[in-house]
Formats: sequence, structure tokens, C-alpha cells
Amino acid sequence: MASSCSQALKQHVCKSSTILRVHLQKSWPKRSFVLNSAADQQPAVSSPEEIVIPKKKTWSKEAVLQALASTVSRDPTASDYRLQDDPYLTPKTSSEFKLFSLSQESGKNAAKYFINTYPKYFQKDYAQPHIPCLMPETLEAQIEEVSEAALIERIHMRKVKAAVDLYDQLQQAGTPVSLDVTNQLLDLICFYGDSDPAQENVPEQRNEETEDVQDEPQTKKGRASKASDQLKAAWKENNNAERIFALLSEPNTHSYSALIRGMVKYGAYSKAFSTYTDLLNNRLKADVNTFNALITAAPEVKEKYNEKWELIVDLLKELAEQKIKPNLLTLNGVLKALRRCGTLGKSQAFPVLSEMKALSIDPSLASYNHLLGIFYKPGAPFLGQTDILQEVMNEVSGKSFTPQDPDDAQFFITAVRICLDTKDIEQAYSVHELLGVGENWRLLGNDLQQNIYYARFFSLLCMMENIDVMLKWYRDLVPSVYYPSSNIMRDLLQALDTDNRLDLIPQIWKDIKQLGHANRQKLVEDLLTLMAREKQDQEVQESFAECALDIKKMYDTGDRGKVIMSWTATSLSDVISVLLAAQRRQDAWEILKLFKTHNRVPSEELLNKFLTCVTESGEVNHAVELVQISAGFCLPETPKLIQRVQQEFQLSEQQKNILSDLEIQTFNSD
Amino acid sequence: MYRRLLINIYQVRNGLIHTQNTRLPSTKCKERESFAPVIWAPCTARPLGTSSISFNENKESSTSLSEDKEKRPEENEAKEEVNTDGQKSTEMNECTEISNATLASQLETETVDKPEDSKQVEKTKSGKESLLELLGAMKVEVTTVRKIRPSKTPRMSERADQEPMESAHSMFQHATAEGSQQHGTLNPALVAAVSAAASTLPNRHQAESELLKQLRKHEAVPDTQRRAEGQNIGHIIADMKVGRRTNGRSNARPTSQIRFDDDGKGYTQDRGITGELDAVRRRKSPFTSKRLNIFTAGMEQDTLSDLGPTLWDIDLANQIIQATNQTPRNGFEEMIQWTKDGKLWQYPINNEAGLEEEASVPFHEHVFLEKHLDESFPRQGPVRHFMELVITGLAKNHQLTVQQKKEHIDWFRDYFRQKDDVLKEAEA
Repeated sequence: MASSCSQALKQHVCKSSTILRVHLQKSWPKRSFVLNSAADQQPAVSSPEEIVIPKKKTWSKEAVLQALASTVSRDPTASDYRLQDDPYLTPKTSSEFKLFSLSQESGKNAAKYFINTYPKYFQKDYAQPHIPCLMPETLEAQIEEVSEAALIERIHMRKVKAAVDLYDQLQQAGTPVSLDVTNQLLDLICFYGDSDPAQENVPEQRNEETEDVQDEPQTKKGRASKASDQLKAAWKENNNAERIFALLSEPNTHSYSALIRGMVKYGAYSKAFSTYTDLLNNRLKADVNTFNALITAAPEVKEKYNEKWELIVDLLKELAEQKIKPNLLTLNGVLKALRRCGTLGKSQAFPVLSEMKALSIDPSLASYNHLLGIFYKPGAPFLGQTDILQEVMNEVSGKSFTPQDPDDAQFFITAVRICLDTKDIEQAYSVHELLGVGENWRLLGNDLQQNIYYARFFSLLCMMENIDVMLKWYRDLVPSVYYPSSNIMRDLLQALDTDNRLDLIPQIWKDIKQLGHANRQKLVEDLLTLMAREKQDQEVQESFAECALDIKKMYDTGDRGKVIMSWTATSLSDVISVLLAAQRRQDAWEILKLFKTHNRVPSEELLNKFLTCVTESGEVNHAVELVQISAGFCLPETPKLIQRVQQEFQLSEQQKNILSDLEIQTFNSD
Repeated sequence: MYRRLLINIYQVRNGLIHTQNTRLPSTKCKERESFAPVIWAPCTARPLGTSSISFNENKESSTSLSEDKEKRPEENEAKEEVNTDGQKSTEMNECTEISNATLASQLETETVDKPEDSKQVEKTKSGKESLLELLGAMKVEVTTVRKIRPSKTPRMSERADQEPMESAHSMFQHATAEGSQQHGTLNPALVAAVSAAASTLPNRHQAESELLKQLRKHEAVPDTQRRAEGQNIGHIIADMKVGRRTNGRSNARPTSQIRFDDDGKGYTQDRGITGELDAVRRRKSPFTSKRLNIFTAGMEQDTLSDLGPTLWDIDLANQIIQATNQTPRNGFEEMIQWTKDGKLWQYPINNEAGLEEEASVPFHEHVFLEKHLDESFPRQGPVRHFMELVITGLAKNHQLTVQQKKEHIDWFRDYFRQKDDVLKEAEA
């Protein structure tokens, strides 16, 4: 190619260089360097590839819709599509959102339940052509007699107990059951761990979304799922699967595979390995699924890191010996196991990935997720590994991934966690960009994971970006895809603070109210402190005052049985300072009275400030009253206040008396 | 500058690479090579490695050209990269950029890089291919660099803009033309660039004057020599792609360079995007590292699952669906979902959807049903007349399949056969 280019250059020297640039840029990425001299003779512009126009193009049934769907981009002002049924019901807070999606899901499940429970009422088939998925499923076994067909039917209906019973009856009757059917039965028993499957109508989101998404969700989830595993029946000694397996005269690979996978799934790891040894002793070949299961089990049976890894390598070697090609799940399993191999993981992870490439298996996002998990342990310091994420991003950027592994959905939250930990906003942007490629958004996972992802992305933005960019993202994502938690809102306030854009606070307060965080005491107090801290322009101060009064209302009305926030001394004094700065003495005066009703003690500083303000307006009555309040709280500052009032105001006789009385009182109490 | 480049290439081509230190001005060469042993250690087999002999004594004079020094390790590393895998060669590109950015000395280092590779080309076919690949990769990188930092075109970029993609060949011409004009004097742009570069260094004036001196030396190379060499090299240069220069890097460097000098530990991680990109290019990607070598490629997946998907397969698919976000984002996606479920009429609209079993039956089977009447019905009479009416009705019926129509006729056949007696009685 280079020589042809030189030829080209000779021919086109006179032409403008831009044409050349276009040509070179086009031809170089192809990098076909095998051009011979004959190619050199050709004109520089390579002849266009011949286009074969097909006589007929068969479109897939979704092609038209896909083309149409690609024309629709996200509308940041609209809520999610599935929430658009009824504008009245469109959720505005995360809890409403949860409620909405849960009820939507449970509505579907309820309908399905009724159709399946009372199939006789749903027999009319209006559809032409027939739509099978709208018809009730048969949940009762149709074949009553004891036969292999009946067994197959029960296996398909996933009735574990009934199938086992029937199998026993068949055995007693002396009817032979074919190996395939027995294997299917074994699959069924092992899959459900020898107990009937629970009803499948579980709601879509059973994860409890907690307020602090900042926590490590993976560990939390891991713990939760482990706990639920333990609640689930563990692999029992001599259960039906083992019993039926023992009855088999000649178990084949499939039988062993079912048994081993069941054992691994239900935590009988060492038993799985001994079954595998049995399999080898019987001179059978295992299949790739068996190995996948064993590789998952490998870290569980060994203690030391290097033993774990050796076991995995042994398994892989046996795979190769038996001439079985590993699949993506095998190597992802290896990577996942490497996460539990300590420092060994770091040295072995990349060779595993290279192996994957050598086998022309495209790594899925789960592979990269495990890779990141190996190199970036949560909570561990990052020593010179910051570029692993960079490498990974170089590999994946611009690619569209299809879901191939259940762990695929972890990639984005892991990547953004690392960005957050390393404070790397550029990488975060590239991760976010990757999310927009193709169908990658599907791999962001369920709502909980989306929430985590956006929470991390946002807190990174709050930390690293300037406020204008930050607010652009905020307007773009909130609340159409993300309902920030109150912690994120506090981050946002901090960002406002650092960039000195406190004037936006009233606006943010509106959002906070809409997002349902107006009753989060900590957030509200932060907000008040920020507003009270400095004196702003007249206009801004005015809007602050409005905002403060609005906040006061939130304290007053604990609507619908929500937890009412309780006034603290600081929040009260913050509100008062905001109001005083906006020259709203009347409102401030009312707030001051709240100190008494809520049994809070105002600070001396506040009273001084208040008095200064009263002095400016020259309201004598208020000044005296202020002193009375101060005396009421037995503040040590009271004598000074009395002195100030006596000096700065024209007092009437009566007021003078009151003050002197107070003076004596405080003196006595001292 | 270009003249100098050409000269160097020629020299290198003639095997003069070993004489690098005699050829170059002594101080500079030494300074540069004081670094060489450190970085070139991995690539011992290279001819350039020979020049890495004993140069630590001249360290004190290194301040003036510390910038040069800084770039050196990176380039060397890049070379190493080139040798090993030849995939990520960005450095040569970088070299060209830098050279344009001012420093004549820099240019020399660059020329050392290039000819060496071109030498390999001559020696081995594979060497040539790898070089070409390199160059190709380099070109690609140039465009990406440009995309990423469109705004950062610092001081020397005017020239690069004028000649965005200049072939080495035409550059050569340009260089000779230029060279003859400015024999003795220096290009004012160069001077400006030198002073700019010098300003980044601590000892400003000294650095500037030294740099200028250096440049003048290069200018002083006899014209005749240059011309003679020039023609020979033409095609080599044509083979080499001197990329367009986006510099932007030249101002990013000095800071990291200084850091390098200070701690002496090696370059620290630069957190900017430029720094990161450089870091990636400099290092070999871990994704191309060695593999486990357990499996041999090209193994066949054994297809055990002849029984269709097992329970486990279904479960895996379910898990994946559960893990991913399957909710539609807009109405069309919902319709796609429905289409997949089979709830929606499929696009493109087909009138015969759901009539798959009839698709292979031609229409005349439906319409011309007389042939079914032939065998057992009477040829004439009321029964025949009745049956003709029946088939006329059937021919117009679009609800029934051909099979059902046949069955319908068969039913009548049976019926009339059973009533044969009655019919005969009535008719006879």
C-alpha cells in the first residue's frame, strides 16, 4: 500500500494536498500491504468494489421497526417511556417510580395468574392468525396414566416432585425409561435442587433501594444473594438426583453434567469434584458446561491463591486434552475465579484474555468487568493501575455489545466506580459514551443498577466538573432517567458552593421538593446553611428569603404522616439570618418565636444580629421584646443586649422599667 | 531541517549508524546518550545500542538541552515497541511532530529512528511489512490525535496547517528549495521557535543561543553533498510517510520532563488527556501480552445439545434477560418486543401471515374442484347438479383449506353412496 501511495503521490503531486489526505486516510486503515507491482501500475484511486444489487431483499420482521426506532432519540424533558401511560401517574420521585414500576409489573403478573388459574374463561381465540402467548398455559398435567409420555410432560411443566414420583412408579412397574428422558429428569431435579420451583410471579424489582447508593452495592448484593442461597435448600446427601443417577446402568456425559452442575449450583463443591473424578474413571468425556461449573467451584474448594489457580489451570488443560473448545462463559468463569486469587489475578488476567482472543472468542463486557474487578479492588489504593481502565476503554470504546453473560450488566457500574475512585472525569465520559453505543444501554442493567450508575456518575461530576457543565448534565438526566438521592443533592449543593453559584439554590430547592427530598433534615439544613452563610445581592437574597419561608412550611406541615423534621437551633438561626438579610423583619420575628415553642436556644450572635437589624429600623418594641426573649433563655449575653438597647434606642419610661427589671433578674440569676 | 534529515538518512543507509557520535555535535550527542543505556537496555540487538557507551561525565551541561533529553526515553521506548510487535508505533509520528516544532536536535534523533527501520526493510521482507504496518498505524493515530485535540494547535501549527498532508517526496523538494535560499541565515520561524522552546527552560538565553548554534551548524552542511545524496534517497523517502504534524505535544512535554529530571525515577503519570494518550502509546498494550497457551486455536465446538436447549440453557438466557434492561425506550421498541412475542402483525405487512400451510397450494386447487367429482358421482342428474352447486360454493369459500374442501366433497360422496338405494328408487 505504501508503495502504491508513493506512486499516487508522484502522480498527484500537483493536485491539492487535501485530496491526497482524503485518499490516504481512506486507504491506510485497510493496511493491505500485499500489493504487488501490478497493483502499482494501477491508478491511485483504487477501483470501487463492485456492488452487487440483490434481486430481492428479505427483511426480518423487526427491520422496519428497528429503523423507525433508531430515529427516536431520548427526550430529556420526558419521563421514561414505560411511565408515560398516564401523565397524572408519572412518577416524580424515586419512591413513586418504584411504586409505579412495581405495580405495573404486578398488574401483569396478576392478569397472568387469573388467565392461568381459570383457563376455561379465556378460551375464545379472537386473534387471526392465532397468538399462542395470549392463550392460557396449561398448568395441570393432561396425561394421567403411568407412562414415559406422562413423565416427559411433567418434566416440561417443571413439576419436580410429580416427575420423581412418576419415575419411581415407572421403575416399580418395570417400564424402562430411556436415557434421554432420564437425563432430562436429572436436569430438572438438579436445576431445582430437588424441590418444586417457587411460583414464578415474583415482582421485577425486589431489591430494596436504599437511600445511600454510595455504598458498595456489589458486596451488598453479593451478601444478599448468598443469604438467599443459604435459605434455598442446599444439596442434600442422597437426594433424588443422586438416587436416580445411581439407578442408571450407564450414565453418559449428560447425566454427569446435570449432576455436577446441580451440585455446584447448590454448593456441594467438593462433591462435584469427586463426581467429576467418577466421570473420568468411567472413561467418559465431560462437556464444556461441566467444566464451566467446575471452574466456578474451583475457588471454593481450595484455600490458597496459588492452589486455586493451579486447579483452574488443571481443569483448563483437561478441557484441552479432551478436545473441547471452551466458550465465553468458561473464560469468564476463569476471570471471575481470578478475582478471588489475590495478586495472582493481576498476573494471569491478561494471559487469559489473550487466550480468549487466540481462540477467537470475543470478550464480553463481563470479561472486562472481571478484569477491572481484579485490578481495582474496592477500597484498595490505586497504585499505578489507573491505566488498566484506560486500556479496557480503548478496547471497548465504540463497540456495541450483546448480552452474553449475566455479569455483563456489572461492567458499567464497575467502570464508573473506578472513575469515581480515581476521580477521572475523562474516563467517566468515555464510559458514558460507550453506554450510548448501539444496544449497550441494555447492559446497564435493571433500575437499581441504573440508579447506582447515575449516582456515581453524578457525584463524580459534582466533584470534578464546573457547575455549568454539571448543570447541563443535571438538566439532561434528572428526572427523566435518574432520580438523585438526597446525598447526591448534597453533593450538588457543594458543587454550587465551590463554584460560587449559590444563586441557583432556590431553583435546586424546587427540584428537591419535587424529588421528594424536602423532608430530609440533613439536606435541608445544608441548604439553609449555604443560604445563610454569605450576604448576596438584593435580588438573590429576596429569592433566598422566599425559599427559606418555603422550607419553613416543610417543617410545619408533615403531610400524609411523613416524618416531620424538627427545628434545630442552627436551622432556625439560618432561616432568621436569611430573612434578616432580605430585610424581612416581620417573618424573621415570627421565626424567632419558634425558638421558644420548639425549646431551642438562639445563639448570642444571632440575637446581636437581630438587634442590629432592629436598630436599623428603629422599632423600640421589638428591641425590648428581643431582650425579654433573651432573658427568657437566661442567656449570658442578656446584660450586654440590655446595655445596647438602652444606649441605642429612645426608650419610654415603661420600657426602661422593663429593661431594668430584666437587668436585676439576670444579675440575680448570675 | 529537511535537508538535514535527508543527509542523515543517507548516512544511515550507508551503514554509518555506528558513527552516530562522531557525526553529531559532541556535547549534544553525549547528553542524549547519557540516557541511552537506561532505556535501550531491552533492545540490545539493535545497531543503535552500540552508541550507548559511557557518557555520564557530561551531565552538567545537560541543562541547556534538557528538553531534548526528556523526549529521548520515550522515543527509545517506542522503538522498542516497534521491534517487538510493530503494532503501536506512534512514536515516529511523534518524532515528526516534534521535529517540526522546532528543535533541530530533535530532528536528528528522529532521523536516526527512521532510517534504521528502512534498513530493515531492505534486509528482510517481513521487516518491510512491519514498517509499513507501522506507518499505517501511525497515520491512523494522527487522525485520532487531531480529532481529540482540535483546539490545541500551538505556536508552530501554522505551517502544519498550510501543508496538512505533505508527502515525503514533495517535502523533500520543498526542503531543497528552501535550503538553497536560506543558506547561511536561519528561517525566522525557526528562530522564533527556538526562543519559544528556550523560554521553557531555566537558563533561557544560554539555551537559546545553543539551539541556534546547533541549527546553524546544520545549515552549513555543503549544498553539493546534499544534492548528490538527495536523488538517491528519493524513493526511500517516498516509502516513508512523514505524517502531518500536529504538535500540541511539544508544550505538554516540558513539565513532565522536568518531573522526570527531578526525581529520576521515571516518568510519573500525567493526568491530562494528552498525557494519558501518550502513556497508552508509549506502553505496549497489555491486551497483546502472551497467552496461557493451553488451547490450540481452531478446535471445534462439540455439539452435544442435539436435544434442543436444556433447562440450563433456558435458565442462562433468563438470567441474562433479568440482568439486562429489557424495557422499551419508545413505542417502536415496544412494537419490536410485541413482534418478537408474536402479538403484533409482522412488518412488512403480508396478507398471508399465519397462512403458512396454504402458502404452497396454488389457487387453482382452491377454485377448480370439478376433478374431485369425476369418479363416483353420477355424470348427470340432480345429484350431479347439486354437487356442482356445492363445488361452486366451495370455490368461493376462502375460509377453508383445500384439504377441508376435499373432505367436504368426500363427505357428500359417502352420503350419496349410503343413500344409493333411495336415490335409485326415486330416480328409477
